[in-house]
Amino acid sequence: MTDRSPRLNTVTAGTLLAMLTLASTAAGQDAQGPTVRAFGFGDVNFLATELDRQEGFQLGQMVGHVSATLDEHVSFFSEVSLTRRNDGYSSEVERAIIRYDVNDALKISAGRFHTPLGYWNTAFHHGSWLQTSVARPEMIKFGGRFIPTHFVGLMVEGAIPTSELGLQYRAGVGNGRHSNIARGGDAGDVNGERAWTASFNSRPVSVQGLEIGVSLYFDRITQSGDSDTDERIFAVHGVWEPGAPEILAEYARVTHEPLGETGGSTGSHGYYAQFGYRLPGGARSVKPYVRIERVDPASEDAVFADYELGYEGLVAGVRYDPGVFLTLRAEVRSEEFEGLDRMTSLYLQASFVITGS
Amino acid sequence: MPNQVGRTGALLVLGFVLSLAVSAPVSAQEAVAIVVYPGVEVDDLSFAELRNIFLAEQQFWPDRSRITLLVRAPQARERDVVLNQIYQMDEDRYRRYWIAKMFRAEVPSGPKIVFSSDMTRDLVTVIPGSIAFMPASEVGPLLKVIRIDGRLPSDDGYRLR
Repeated sequence: MTDRSPRLNTVTAGTLLAMLTLASTAAGQDAQGPTVRAFGFGDVNFLATELDRQEGFQLGQMVGHVSATLDEHVSFFSEVSLTRRNDGYSSEVERAIIRYDVNDALKISAGRFHTPLGYWNTAFHHGSWLQTSVARPEMIKFGGRFIPTHFVGLMVEGAIPTSELGLQYRAGVGNGRHSNIARGGDAGDVNGERAWTASFNSRPVSVQGLEIGVSLYFDRITQSGDSDTDERIFAVHGVWEPGAPEILAEYARVTHEPLGETGGSTGSHGYYAQFGYRLPGGARSVKPYVRIERVDPASEDAVFADYELGYEGLVAGVRYDPGVFLTLRAEVRSEEFEGLDRMTSLYLQASFVITGS
Repeated sequence: MPNQVGRTGALLVLGFVLSLAVSAPVSAQEAVAIVVYPGVEVDDLSFAELRNIFLAEQQFWPDRSRITLLVRAPQARERDVVLNQIYQMDEDRYRRYWIAKMFRAEVPSGPKIVFSSDMTRDLVTVIPGSIAFMPASEVGPLLKVIRIDGRLPSDDGYRLR
């Protein structure tokens, strides 16, 4: 995350407030006008850790959403977050999407998206209430560098009709990573080479809760002081959530190929596998879970070599849902960050969703 | 006297049990009809297509008009039938499903809630592209009922009961 000026934060927070106000006043107005809905997510955390991090109580992200149906085929969606920092809060427009739905087979949208790479990044976004665990896997954490989590550009998506396989596609062209590769190209592309992404998912009608998919991402990375590097990402995922059990698994290979140098391409790997199970009967509000994950950057990688991205983690926890809109979690993580010994952390979290009209 | 009281009590219990045995299956077996806006040019859906529509995996009719889902509020038997058989979810999971769907920007809005069969009848006849469900016995003459896998609610083998 880059620093942003207090003025910018004020402006963005003001925009968030204005959007929420618009939503609350517009609901129930003339049915011929746009239909606006607002909802939000938030979480409060407690951390005790052997890592060199501040312990104690912490606010997580406060996330506000506004969606608007402009007419039968046009809609707008936005997601704005406030994230705690050591010296205050930073605000961010996480997603802002204007979309034209031609039909189920073709939906065209423009704006800022979460990059459709793998599963988690477009399934849970910034709503911790939605996900089973306290936080994202390391390979796709927000502010991370392994995979570009945001994408600014144009996207087409849809369902491939007459298919029992429930095939869906997405393809997009947009700005590649910023020279700070943890960020997307919000102000434009840092070089002349646009990023491309494509993904195909299958949700077979006959197997409830199953989704499998592959996704691709191509970009040219320009970092200050370094020569340009071509980036190719291949990701595959499998998810099965028929009800009580939950199985999520994702793998991504990031290939970097420096231009104009003798060094060849390098491949870095990341994966996670998560298993959860909602207990039966009277204990159905309780869902224990476990996750293993790993990020394994190539040692000679032209882009990742400057950062210590190596990671290995084992996560175990329990999610408890006292109601539909509130979730409590207790999670223990045993983690080994590159260059550090394995350390243990305890997370406690209350996350919630607020839905409006 | 005690014998008479006992016999009367036994008869009342027997009558209650018999009334349950006779009436409960009728109520539990009543079909739930799928009804649509009269202008919708669809007469028959497969169960898989119906499920895709209610899950908002399909959001448009073949003529490109948007599908508007009308869903009965909780505490109605027809809602239980739809959640059990079409969504295959309990109430909590159903709510989470729609919050997640909107949050992922996969739908611009969730289903519209209706609170009675009268309200369903009124709305489904005026909202273009709408689809709803209601007890088959309460479907009025002006509503368009959709066949599911080729069967109407009055047919044997109709799935939504």
